Amino acid sequence: MAEPDFEAQLTRLYNEPPAFPDAELFAAQIAANLDRGWALRRVLIGGAGTAAGVIAAVQLITTRFSAELQTLSREGTRDLNADIDQAMNKVSQMVATPASVEALWLAAGLALLALGFAVTRAMEEF
Amino acid sequence: MSMDRPPTGHDVELAAFAAAGDRRAYGELVRRHGSAVRGLLRRMGADSATADDMAQDAFLAGFEQVADYRGEGAFGGWIKRIAARCYLRKVKREARMIFTDEAQDGDDPTALNEPRTANRIDLDEALKVLSKGERLCVSLCYGGDWSHAEVAEALNIPIGTVKSHVKRGLDKLRAKLAPPSESARREAHG
Repeated sequence: MAEPDFEAQLTRLYNEPPAFPDAELFAAQIAANLDRGWALRRVLIGGAGTAAGVIAAVQLITTRFSAELQTLSREGTRDLNADIDQAMNKVSQMVATPASVEALWLAAGLALLALGFAVTRAMEEF
Repeated sequence: MSMDRPPTGHDVELAAFAAAGDRRAYGELVRRHGSAVRGLLRRMGADSATADDMAQDAFLAGFEQVADYRGEGAFGGWIKRIAARCYLRKVKREARMIFTDEAQDGDDPTALNEPRTANRIDLDEALKVLSKGERLCVSLCYGGDWSHAEVAEALNIPIGTVKSHVKRGLDKLRAKLAPPSESARREAHG
């Protein structure tokens, strides 16, 4: 047989895959592996989302502190000593009570939402 | 893509869906090309379990990289290339293969002279007479559509070694796959 003919025949033979009786099972195994990987990814994304939510809530609460400082600087024409005293009082208040009641409720709500999301996702996936 | 209908369409279309995260579309590609990939790995010399593991790794890696597949060539060729690289990494890691210009393990002179029955052409049987190196090089070139240079680079061996492996392998396969002579045919039919 001439070389090019034989090479063409060989390529054709290679392109005819053997029949595997478990071909469907093989495809199903890969699909299951892909699903598992995807589930893990979604849990990680959910976790990242929860963490981001918590961070956002913390930021929301602490923003009040910087807003107070800005107000103080805008009213800078007042007696400096009085302002410093007032600022120190505000800081003390912030440390003692980190947020207003509304902010606390908001943070608690966000945390509950995040927790609910995480639990639902975990129940769906496992 | 609809969830209740099995995915259909051209490979390129399914690959585009898969790139967008559609695992069902990718599952259809696995169904279409799974046997080809498993077959190629076996023909390269992997045992059944290894071939299936490598094929599975290749398809999982393929899903991660499917966005890189732009449809320039056949999807089958693309995924077979990934699978072959997976297997070559394993072979090199385990250092199981020794590439020399000399004929070595796998050579079975008696196998070449076995009378062939009827006109059955069985590539998988014929490949058994090749050495590991010959089998790998021939399968990569003719089953994976790799060039000699690509094989040489992947295996880190001189291109001359690849060419001699391929030539020897082809000679053996030609002898094994050639139509049976009239006498052999008479023998086969008793």
